[in-house]
Amino acid sequence: MTKDLVVEKRSQNEIVHDDSTALKVENLSKIYNSTAGRVVALDNVSFSIKKGEFVSIIGPSGSGKSTVLNMVGALDRPSSGKIYIDGIDMFSLNDSELATVRNRRIGFIFQSFNLINRTTVQKNVKLPGIIAGMSTDEADLRADKILSALGIADKKNQKPVNLSGGQQQRVAIARSLINNPSIILADEPTGNLDTKTGEDVFDMLKMLSHKFKRTIIMVTHNPELAESTDRSILLRDGRIEKDAAN
Amino acid sequence: MNPKDLFLSSFEALVDRKVRTLLTILMVVLGSSLVVVLNGLSAGQAVFLEKQFNTLAANVLFVGSGQRGFRDASAGNALIINTVIISKIKSLPLVTDVIPEYTGSVSIDSQGNTQRVSVTSLDPTKLTVELPNLEYVDGSTVKANDRSSAIVGDTIVNPPGAANAFISLGQTIRATATYVDSSGKSVTVTKNFVVTGILKPSGNTMIDRSVIINLDAGNELLHKMNKYDQLIVAAATPDDVDTVQNEITGQFGKTLGATTPKALIAVRQQAASGNAAFILMVGIIALVVGAVGIVTTLYNSVTERIREIGTMKAIGAQNSTILALFIVEASLIGLFGASLGMIIGIGGGYVMSITTTTTPTGGGPPVHIPPIFDPIDLIKVWLLSLTLSIVAGMYPAWKASKLSPMVALRRE
Repeated sequence: MTKDLVVEKRSQNEIVHDDSTALKVENLSKIYNSTAGRVVALDNVSFSIKKGEFVSIIGPSGSGKSTVLNMVGALDRPSSGKIYIDGIDMFSLNDSELATVRNRRIGFIFQSFNLINRTTVQKNVKLPGIIAGMSTDEADLRADKILSALGIADKKNQKPVNLSGGQQQRVAIARSLINNPSIILADEPTGNLDTKTGEDVFDMLKMLSHKFKRTIIMVTHNPELAESTDRSILLRDGRIEKDAAN
Repeated sequence: MNPKDLFLSSFEALVDRKVRTLLTILMVVLGSSLVVVLNGLSAGQAVFLEKQFNTLAANVLFVGSGQRGFRDASAGNALIINTVIISKIKSLPLVTDVIPEYTGSVSIDSQGNTQRVSVTSLDPTKLTVELPNLEYVDGSTVKANDRSSAIVGDTIVNPPGAANAFISLGQTIRATATYVDSSGKSVTVTKNFVVTGILKPSGNTMIDRSVIINLDAGNELLHKMNKYDQLIVAAATPDDVDTVQNEITGQFGKTLGATTPKALIAVRQQAASGNAAFILMVGIIALVVGAVGIVTTLYNSVTERIREIGTMKAIGAQNSTILALFIVEASLIGLFGASLGMIIGIGGGYVMSITTTTTPTGGGPPVHIPPIFDPIDLIKVWLLSLTLSIVAGMYPAWKASKLSPMVALRRE
């Protein structure tokens, strides 16, 4: 039985979910126990995000924004609570199944791009496809299409290190799209860019959300950008202080 | 990730760190080539030794006094080999002949040139008892009691690399030997010989590099005072050799040493294989050092690429994929290192056999012992190098695969 089938089977057996819901977070808590003491990073956080919604998560440093994103991205497990992506109970899966979910259903965009500089733009973009088992021809074709849509097709044979910050972030966006994920998680995607380039990148994410109905969750410090998303969730001290449409 | 993409990704990662990769490959090359060279030279030596002893008759054994060659704890009681001893041995059952020998080294002058050579002094007509396949060039004559005639080995006549023959049949050569007398003074003895016989190449390095002279002439030239260095004892058949050996040991105890060519081969081969085993250990230690180099290189690589590993995991790479990526890197280092090591080892073996030559006892031109490379041994060394490289890559690969993606992504 393939991992996909396992995932589908679990989703059918374990929950009945609303087809319009891309993500559901239920009573999510994360507590770190360290020598410094017990730190509650998230305290009973719950929210849902509909398919095609562009949601920003804002809040001061230490409010739990990145912790939420790490949980939703299945990079870390919660102390308690559940997360459903496309109805799949994420933390009922083992590490290998979680890796498959990250590959097929989640796209990551990082603040510092996290591209592999020794290889070309095209190879960076197609890497999640290759990991998913896509054929080289199909991965090349998809990567080229996405790079064209994002206006950097001419850079496909260059190495990321030779591109500007804005161009590198576009490459990262292209990489997040290659497997047609259910959710795109963007962690401060404009944080390392100047204002103008940051706006360009943000407009691109907006375009993906509105034109291509992508579900995007963006963590940001920038209140102006957050106001331009469909909805903002304000976190403070690990709790949701405000969750409102913009 | 399919095998081709896995291989390409690992290859790119190695190329990205060219210098470090090349140095690590060099470590594997040094280890594997060292093992190949040493194996080849040892095998060459073993075959060379076997060839030497195969020229000897199967029914002979060598008897020497405890003072020379057969030394042990009772060497103080060693007998001096003289005519009395010869008579006693001759009277033993199954003994068909006893040939006394003097051995030493002399300088010979011919046509204004000088060579340092071994000299064997015995009844020349009995030479074929010890070396049954010996052949002489046309025109040679072998006389038992001619004190002024000499038979010369092929390598002395035709020294390697020389355009002209050093000696020809019928020519007179001048032999010079030195000894220290009872007062401690160095005495030089010179004697002229007529070359009456030239040996065809026999394959026995010792005889090919010797001048054979009459027993009396040897006694005089080498100042042996009738004390023989060695006896060649011929048994009736090869099967009787052990019996004769036991008879001699039974009669003379440890005061005389009797040994057979077979035993000599065994002792030499044992010494050679002991040497080879020691040297092989050195080679294997070098290979292990190469493997430690791989651990260091890949461990550094994991540390440096920790964010890349985190990113790979975030975008869905399985632990097994990360593990495989680093194992393939280790395998590629091993593959290149082991393969280059084979080539350099084979080439190095030939270069070493030419540059490091053995000068035979008594002088003469140096002996080149060519290395022998057994394909099975080469494959074994290649597999050993590759396996060690893969094993060395396992720990860093396992470390990388077990990294938490979140922790890896946070690392600067």
